[in-house]
Amino acid sequence: MARAREAVSPSVVIAAAGLVVVVAVPFLFILLQAVFPHLGRGSLAAPFSALAGALGDPKLIGMTGNTLLLGLLVVVLSALIAVPLAVARALFRVPGAVIWDVLFLIPFMIPPYIAVLGWIMTLQPRGYLEQLAGFDLAAFLFSVPGIVFVMTLNTFPVVYFAVSRTVETVGSRYADVARVFGASPLRAFWRVTLPLSTPGLAASLLLVFAMSIEEYGTPAALGRRAGFDVLVTAIDLRVSDWPIDLPGAAILSLVLVILSFGAFLLQRWILTRRSYEATTGKPQDAAKRDLGVWKFPVLALFAAVAVAATGLPLLAILATALSRTISGGLTLANLDLSNFSAILGDTTGALKALGTSLSLGVAAALVTGLLGALSAYAVVKSKVRGRGVLDVLTILPNALPGIVVAVGLILAWNQPWLPVTPYNTALILLLAYCCILLPQPVRYATAAFHQIGDNLEAAARVFGASPLVAFRRILLPLIAPSLLAAMLLVFAVATRELVASVVVAPVGVSTISTYIWRQFEQGSVGLGMAMAFITILITTALPLIVLSLMGRRGNLL
Amino acid sequence: MLKTMLRAGVTAAALLTAGSALADVTVYTAGPASLIEKLAAGFTEETGVKVEFFQATTGKVMARIEAEASNPVVDVLISASWDTATDFAERGWLVPYTSPNAATVPDFLKTETAVAQGVAALAIAWNPASGTPKPAEWADLAKPEYKDLVNLPDPAQSGSAFELVSALSADGMGLFESLAANGAIVAGANAEALNPVLQGAKAAVFGAVDYISLNGKAKGESIEVIFPETGTVIAPRPVMILNWSKNQDDAKKFVDYVLSDAGQAIVAGTSLMPARADVTADRPLIADLKILPVDAEAVYGKRAETLEAFSKVFAK
Repeated sequence: MARAREAVSPSVVIAAAGLVVVVAVPFLFILLQAVFPHLGRGSLAAPFSALAGALGDPKLIGMTGNTLLLGLLVVVLSALIAVPLAVARALFRVPGAVIWDVLFLIPFMIPPYIAVLGWIMTLQPRGYLEQLAGFDLAAFLFSVPGIVFVMTLNTFPVVYFAVSRTVETVGSRYADVARVFGASPLRAFWRVTLPLSTPGLAASLLLVFAMSIEEYGTPAALGRRAGFDVLVTAIDLRVSDWPIDLPGAAILSLVLVILSFGAFLLQRWILTRRSYEATTGKPQDAAKRDLGVWKFPVLALFAAVAVAATGLPLLAILATALSRTISGGLTLANLDLSNFSAILGDTTGALKALGTSLSLGVAAALVTGLLGALSAYAVVKSKVRGRGVLDVLTILPNALPGIVVAVGLILAWNQPWLPVTPYNTALILLLAYCCILLPQPVRYATAAFHQIGDNLEAAARVFGASPLVAFRRILLPLIAPSLLAAMLLVFAVATRELVASVVVAPVGVSTISTYIWRQFEQGSVGLGMAMAFITILITTALPLIVLSLMGRRGNLL
Repeated sequence: MLKTMLRAGVTAAALLTAGSALADVTVYTAGPASLIEKLAAGFTEETGVKVEFFQATTGKVMARIEAEASNPVVDVLISASWDTATDFAERGWLVPYTSPNAATVPDFLKTETAVAQGVAALAIAWNPASGTPKPAEWADLAKPEYKDLVNLPDPAQSGSAFELVSALSADGMGLFESLAANGAIVAGANAEALNPVLQGAKAAVFGAVDYISLNGKAKGESIEVIFPETGTVIAPRPVMILNWSKNQDDAKKFVDYVLSDAGQAIVAGTSLMPARADVTADRPLIADLKILPVDAEAVYGKRAETLEAFSKVFAK
């Protein structure tokens, strides 16, 4: 009897319903669009007629290869940068740990299209670097290594935060046992701590892979000059070049989904090979070790990454925002606050856009946090049949380019027979952000659940707690650190999401990103950069304030 | 915690849905944003009719219309490419309307179903601080002084850039071959091609949309707009009323307003050329420019071939 009730635990039902609305509906319409080319006009004529054209594109194989290569290179470089930093942060007393956390959070707050423009304006001939130091690095920037470099600086925080949290949870206790049995410190780390941290590492690398094959801004700005075409740029061209080819875009997106799905299967295979339970309810010694002679080398590494990922892009953004004209360059006479006063004076609708995006960011973080925790629970801890399907639904949006999600949402929610619809209200933006960003909380929460022993929930149930109470009182607090980190990322990305917002924004509504983008389109780069700078400040400060109000000082994220 | 999260989520959602009722006239436009903002405000002030607008690039506006086609909401469309007006008319999506204010709009800027709001022209945008001699002709940019210093907007992403490429390649791709040999590169859409010139990484844009550069110059940027004597192409920006519109009377009033003295003054204020021949602006007008003939039907019929040949020239 009890087992039967477990099968329909309310948390699982909520997770399933939420996933259907947020992910399955738009995805279904993308699939339908791929099959029925005239879906937008409400016709199901000529099914599969667009397939041959899109898949027969002679450039397809090259672009798919480039996409895979880009994803793998960004994953490898992100891991190389983030894992040593994360391990140091988790196991040792790194001086200024909280400050480093904040500095590594900021790259995530910098919209990729802004970061890449900042890099271009710094490294191109007569850019900021040449104005200050006399040389330029354009040849490096507009190349495949340049693209990988810029994208890695944007994505490595995902790995850093996930791995440092999981390694911290694993703690040094298991490694200590290995040491007692005679293993060297290095061996104990390689054979015990690192393997036990696999869930966090695998989950975050999967996210990075999916993010980098789906990312549009950087390959579009840098790749075309390097002759490096990827699937996303081809998809965008199909959606923006008249005559619009929605079926072609949908079909190419499905190729992306297949790539991402392959990575997902690989990650799942790694995670299900063995158990990674490290949180068993036993008290844990949280004390961290001293770095000793390694203190300064480690600090230098932290500083170097912080300068490259946070310092330089922020300075480039600030320099542009403070410049009256771009052609005036970095001279004292050319610097003033006119761009900032235009925004704060709100002659351009900037404050309204800020308000819209910030509330959408908070709402998206709450919805995806809740839905992510419930879905991850349903997948990892429940024994519900069909939970594999739920798991697949949570990974699908990861590989869908924002623009395709936007088209799917319009097709789904603009049907004439719907009595009420979120379309043409700000809710459609919320749906878009939730769909695109849901994978983050799900991956983080899944990794956290993998580390929690089943006996904890069982103990709560034995003492009479209902499934919901056990979830709320036992499991949720245990995964809260990981989940909160993911929700902060959702907040940051949702506040500045561009690609879907540009297409799906309701009439008369502008978001931070569409505001910035319009300034760029009109040639007001400085005004756009000033808005970007203010946004980065707010999206960094707000989560920090929330966390310190919640009394989590000293243990950020 | 779960309850608080739920409650907060519901509140946020409720807040978001408020205040997004559809307006009397819904305009989709290819920008610039400041233009439609001022036109909407002026129109509402004059008629009391509310305007809501959606602004993006021509491509993104079209993608939205295509995805919405089963249940469209747009009443008035302003595109940056005349091609849209031709194509939509062929599909039978447009309402025939001739505004009384369109009397002084030259014939080549209006049809039964569309009329230009304003006109942009393509030009050389050159940075005088670049240390290069001032170019006068398209072909000048293939000279050694401009080696590696020229950007071209991508004709696959910009309708006007495509027409310029077509007009200048009527006798073959020779000019573009010498540009490519001189290190000129294709650099994204219009704004993307201009920024490196402002900072000085490049000296000139071959085929810049003039009004963006003129606005930059007005703000103090070091940029000059040069219209070659051999001729250039223009990009009229058509205004159209969609036949599914349920507010066609208000939509017609909006078109009237765009072509009114006040509306055309706003157009001139953004450095575009007004569509009406009797409205002046503080910039070179159509009559001052030599316009290269573009046979739209023939040119767009060969679009794929032209783009293919063009990208072959610039492929490394």
